[in-house]
Amino acid sequence: MSASKFMVAAAFLSISAPVLAAVGHDNAHGHGAASGSPGRISEASRTIKVEMYDMYYEPESISVKQGETVRFIVENKGNIVHEFNIGTPEMHESHQKEMMMMVEHGVIQGGKLNHDMMKMDMGNGHSMKHDDPNSVLLEPGQSQEVVWKFSDKGNIEFACNVPGHYQAGMYGDVNFE
Amino acid sequence: MKIRLSAVLLGLLMPALVLAGEYDLTVDRVQIDTGDFVKEGIGYNGASPGPVMRFKEGEEVKINVTNNLDETTSIHWHGLILPFNQDGVPGISFPGIKPGETFTYEFPIQQAGTYWFHSHSGFQEPDGAYGAIVIEPEGREPFRYDREYVVQLTDKHPHSGDRIMRNLKMMPDYYNREQQTVGEFFSDASENGLMSTIRDRMAWGDMRMMKADVEDLQGFTGLINGRGPEQNWTGLFEPGERIRLRFINSSAMTYFDIRIPGLDMTVVQADGNNVQPVNVDEFRIGVAETYDVIVRPKDDQAYTIFAESMGRSGYARATLAPEEGMEAAAPQLREPARLTMADMSGMPGMDHGSMAGMDHSNMEVMDHSNMEGMDHSKMEGMDHSGMAGMDHGDMMMSKGGANDPFYAKGSGLMPTAANGGKFLSYADLKAQDPLYEDREPTREIELRLTGNMERYIWSINGIKYEDADPIRLKYGERVRFKFVNETMMTHPMHLHGMWSILDVGAGQWNPIKHTVSVNPGTTVYMETEVDAPGQWAFHCHLSYHAAAGMFRKVIVEGGPDSTQAKADAVNEEGGEA
Repeated sequence: MSASKFMVAAAFLSISAPVLAAVGHDNAHGHGAASGSPGRISEASRTIKVEMYDMYYEPESISVKQGETVRFIVENKGNIVHEFNIGTPEMHESHQKEMMMMVEHGVIQGGKLNHDMMKMDMGNGHSMKHDDPNSVLLEPGQSQEVVWKFSDKGNIEFACNVPGHYQAGMYGDVNFE
Repeated sequence: MKIRLSAVLLGLLMPALVLAGEYDLTVDRVQIDTGDFVKEGIGYNGASPGPVMRFKEGEEVKINVTNNLDETTSIHWHGLILPFNQDGVPGISFPGIKPGETFTYEFPIQQAGTYWFHSHSGFQEPDGAYGAIVIEPEGREPFRYDREYVVQLTDKHPHSGDRIMRNLKMMPDYYNREQQTVGEFFSDASENGLMSTIRDRMAWGDMRMMKADVEDLQGFTGLINGRGPEQNWTGLFEPGERIRLRFINSSAMTYFDIRIPGLDMTVVQADGNNVQPVNVDEFRIGVAETYDVIVRPKDDQAYTIFAESMGRSGYARATLAPEEGMEAAAPQLREPARLTMADMSGMPGMDHGSMAGMDHSNMEVMDHSNMEGMDHSKMEGMDHSGMAGMDHGDMMMSKGGANDPFYAKGSGLMPTAANGGKFLSYADLKAQDPLYEDREPTREIELRLTGNMERYIWSINGIKYEDADPIRLKYGERVRFKFVNETMMTHPMHLHGMWSILDVGAGQWNPIKHTVSVNPGTTVYMETEVDAPGQWAFHCHLSYHAAAGMFRKVIVEGGPDSTQAKADAVNEEGGEA
């Protein structure tokens, strides 16, 4: 990873985590499924490489043990921006609305991310930063890590929530051993 | 269909496995039952539509076509990239297939996706001679879905193609049942004032057309996979599955607005080429276009696939259901579309012309007609998105629908989604994996789409096919075509043999298509990498427009190894639409 790309990656990771809110929201719908929590790299039992292509992942499914912490190295090998996001189908669905807004405001433009736009104040203290620890949003050629602890069994998928991508089949299954 | 798919291993001579397939098609007289009427027509292997031809990218296909008719026939493989003498246009690619004769097509499959095939002789295609092509990619399919269906539409008319053409030539509004009535005149007069209504009608009369000329062929029954609305073609699914629907519009004349109430659709392919996925509520499919969408019905219920014609004079209907026999309600047809003065803006004499006085009266008329259009469609759509308290994102979504840059501003044809949501625009189509490098075009060719509705003459640059010189292109150049639609009808322009790179303003992401729809009063650009030697057809895909002269022969001079286009060897007589 080049120095400049590393800076971008660092900027992503430095921002804190509203993922618990998302999980809470999910519970409120009564599905009772949580996707896990940010993990510590020192606890990671193994590393899984995930390659993102235009509209699919390789691999398309992974197996984990409950409580296991996994370090994912995610690389975008496609032509356009993709996301790797760990969550339940319901979480993905609500995240897709945010991602739609990012496209409408020109944050995601085909193969490019507009970082200035991401920082823009949208009112009420919201911005379009993509900073949840359960996910990374990558331009073609970029690579980044996600460390995740699968604390709860549940219906968990990794998915790309760039508008249309999930619906087109860009998701993978997390199977619990 | 007899398929002899033989994977031939050429022993030790070739290290690789060569995939070869041999297929047989017969061209037959068939009965077509739409549920509304039964008519004699033309089909393949005893049925209309013909079979779904399934090929694999990289395969060498051999297709034996036997003509059981008492007239010449042909098959054009719509959207396939192949040697020009396999393209199936009588008089341009080959002489045609005579009665009783078998012609063997042989070409390599060098692409994947959804396409179709049809006769290019006379009016055999509107009479039923069409079928679907599905090509599996060489590598993995980039999308994930549990099952797939071809959804092939047509506008089946009780009259034969020949008879329709005769009637249109005799009386261009023969099949226009949507003409404005005396009653409509009085209701307009009470809304807009008598004088303004009279001026409106006179202005339209001057232009030799009627506001209701959205569709010049009405009175058809919409078919999906050969079945009428009552016969209700049904595709089965298990709730939760993703289904890929391969929509193909094989109509002679009809554009359809397609929706599946209760389901979001994700458009993943247009004209056989993968696009960056777009979520939509509804889309318009032009004649000869294809769109692949993925849907995911989660509930244990039936869903209606509803395809309203653009002018709302008819519809096709099918069903997705967990079990055979289940069905959902079919929506009502929406208000007929009415052309506005904006749709006329391409007409010569409208914006520049000797009639200075006309400008003033037009302005007034324009206001009224635009408002009318807005009342019926735009306002409705806007109300919905506002009322549902939708978030920022959804509000923005309507921009593709109500403000589509591919329609004239204020156009009566501007589509809006029935549920107020997202309507697909050409502007949303972006290539997923661009085939060509973006580069400056070497030159521009202007093609004005022209016509005289009163005499049912359709032409390009004011000249109909039989009087026109071919368009000459040079192998290796990149030509920018500028379509200027000077008529009040929408024309789906189809260039054979080479891709049409549609300019949606996305540079290297501009999508490649085989059919480019040009709306009234608009200018649309497409570019073509001239990479296929030989001679090709280039025409409006509305059957009766092509036959009336909106058609050109394209000759590509030169070639990769200077095999001077064998084109010269082929007879130069005019082709059939």
